[in-house]
Amino acid sequence: MSSGRSEAPAPLDPALEASAEELYEDAPCGYLSTLPDGRIVKVNRTFLDWTGYAREELLGGRRLVDLLTAGGRIYHETHYAPLLALQGAANEIALELRRADGTRLPVLLTSLLKRDADRQPLLIRTTVFSAVDRRAYEHELLLARDRERDVAHVLQRSLLASEPLRDPRIRVGAHYRPAVDTLEVGGDWHDAFPAGEGRVGVVVGDVVGRGIEAASAMGQLRSATRALAGAGLGGPAQLLERLDRFAAGVPLALMATLAYAEIELDGGAVRYACAGHPPPLLLQSGAEPVVLWDGRSLPLGVDPEAGRPPDGRLTLASGGRLLLYTDGLVERHDEPLDRGLERLAAAVGALRSRDPQALVDELVETLPQDDTPHDDICALCAELRSGGAA
Amino acid sequence: MTRAAGSDSACVVRNNVTLAGVETGRPMLFAHGFGCDQSMWRLVAPAFAQTHRIVLFDHVGAGGSDRSAYDFERYGSLDAYAEDVLELCRALALEDVVLVGHSVSAMIGTLAVREEPDRFRALVMVSPSPRYVDDDGYVGGFSAADIDELLESLASNYLGWSSQLAPVIMGNPDRPELGDELTNSFCRTDPDIAQQFARVTFRSDTRAELADVRVPTLVLQCAQDAIAPRAVGEFVHRAVPGSSYALLDATGHCPNLSAPRETIAAIAAFLAGRG
Repeated sequence: MSSGRSEAPAPLDPALEASAEELYEDAPCGYLSTLPDGRIVKVNRTFLDWTGYAREELLGGRRLVDLLTAGGRIYHETHYAPLLALQGAANEIALELRRADGTRLPVLLTSLLKRDADRQPLLIRTTVFSAVDRRAYEHELLLARDRERDVAHVLQRSLLASEPLRDPRIRVGAHYRPAVDTLEVGGDWHDAFPAGEGRVGVVVGDVVGRGIEAASAMGQLRSATRALAGAGLGGPAQLLERLDRFAAGVPLALMATLAYAEIELDGGAVRYACAGHPPPLLLQSGAEPVVLWDGRSLPLGVDPEAGRPPDGRLTLASGGRLLLYTDGLVERHDEPLDRGLERLAAAVGALRSRDPQALVDELVETLPQDDTPHDDICALCAELRSGGAA
Repeated sequence: MTRAAGSDSACVVRNNVTLAGVETGRPMLFAHGFGCDQSMWRLVAPAFAQTHRIVLFDHVGAGGSDRSAYDFERYGSLDAYAEDVLELCRALALEDVVLVGHSVSAMIGTLAVREEPDRFRALVMVSPSPRYVDDDGYVGGFSAADIDELLESLASNYLGWSSQLAPVIMGNPDRPELGDELTNSFCRTDPDIAQQFARVTFRSDTRAELADVRVPTLVLQCAQDAIAPRAVGEFVHRAVPGSSYALLDATGHCPNLSAPRETIAAIAAFLAGRG
């Protein structure tokens, strides 16, 4: 604590910082003055020290662009110079200067345009700050971001890959399209697998969120679905109840949605259920597509104690198909879901002659409109080849 | 200038079209290059407003365009930009158009007039380059490594962009003043879009298409241009059949900003048949 009486500051030495020239020459940043055509007309000592050029070398007609890297020159011409002309200033532009010895100095440039009485450009004044450490750190950040992106994509691809079904009684086609306006991975998935003797399970699901955590949650749910389907629980509703409990322990799996169906390969009996997911479509030969509204309930993990309603049931005739998909295929922000379903049914009807893979390929590539590029899209079509109901 | 909000065409909003000049005049459509937006024409376009119908726009992904219309797949080549130009012409019923394209938009213009030659009166190419990278005897001025360096420059320059700001800027296309308060706003772009536009631009090769240009064409070349050197402008002039060529005593790649009077004079002389 002080004594309560502050001491008067010592009087300033009038000679301290009196030299404007020294203030300019030895400032803690580089100074450059250039003509509107870029030629350097004044430069301070700090800039010369940093770059290793002799003053007369720079004042003999060199332009600022001559000191930049080739990529930096393009950036200068396409951004820096236009900004100066348009707004009279350019702030915090990151570029690299080529030193006299050929090495590079990362810098941040800030420039002000000085105009004459007729508003014509007269001079450009630029401060140059060394950005070695900052640039190195930013580089690390960018690398880390790219690495995470790469890892996420590899992870997602490996999570979606699995041994295809090899049974002549069923044909499955699936298509996953990542969101087009982001490089982050999404949480949509599809899968088809044996679900007990003479039975096949097909699923399409959607985890909330994006990025590596969503991909990881997707992988866990996908594996859990496969494992539970093989455990002979009794049917889709029971599987969803077990998944509910599983999802409660996987943070990002909460609120995930899925459509799941089990198909008897002999006889074509189908049981299906939807947890907060758009309804599957049934395509029997010679009939209009039918939207399957049974077996519907909440997304995963919302109310694990509530139980699930009875499964939807139907019988696939030989050649009959089930189409499962994620909301990106039908949803548009400016219209109700019904309209999207009508559009889907019409598109599916028009493509009914295609095999399952070609059908989902075309649907995913052509049906979504350009105003829904923010979502990834997934679709799966399973066709019973023979042995179905006559 | 007026915003063309009255038109109900989606592309007019998507490309942030600005209309000015004489409504019954011959249309002059100005296309900006890589880097900034339609502001690039602010010192040139008004000179023609007494005689022409002036149409300015932003390429999708640039300036005040609708960013949600940017499809990374579609805009993976210059063809999509040329299609946008033609779509704008159709939506605004532009005929007998003078198309003025700066830098990469001179090439976008080349693709557009090649597609629909009858729609265009003339093509003005300001600082054009059909190929930036050197190639087997052809001097474009850059190596592939130089272009990678540019991509790095783009990655370390955000120019007022941040994901927090993006919704504010993009969600208020009717309130440009929101954007103007922000620094470097004329060249603000989503970094991922800037990267892709740079790749598409600087790795493009439109040399072969120049021979198909069938409309009167003016090539405007700056005496000292770090991006499109004189040899490149002369190449374009030789490649476009019957083209006119004007060498401007200007430094830099943007004579529309650095030497607007010379630029205007050269275009006016060409349009008057004296170029």
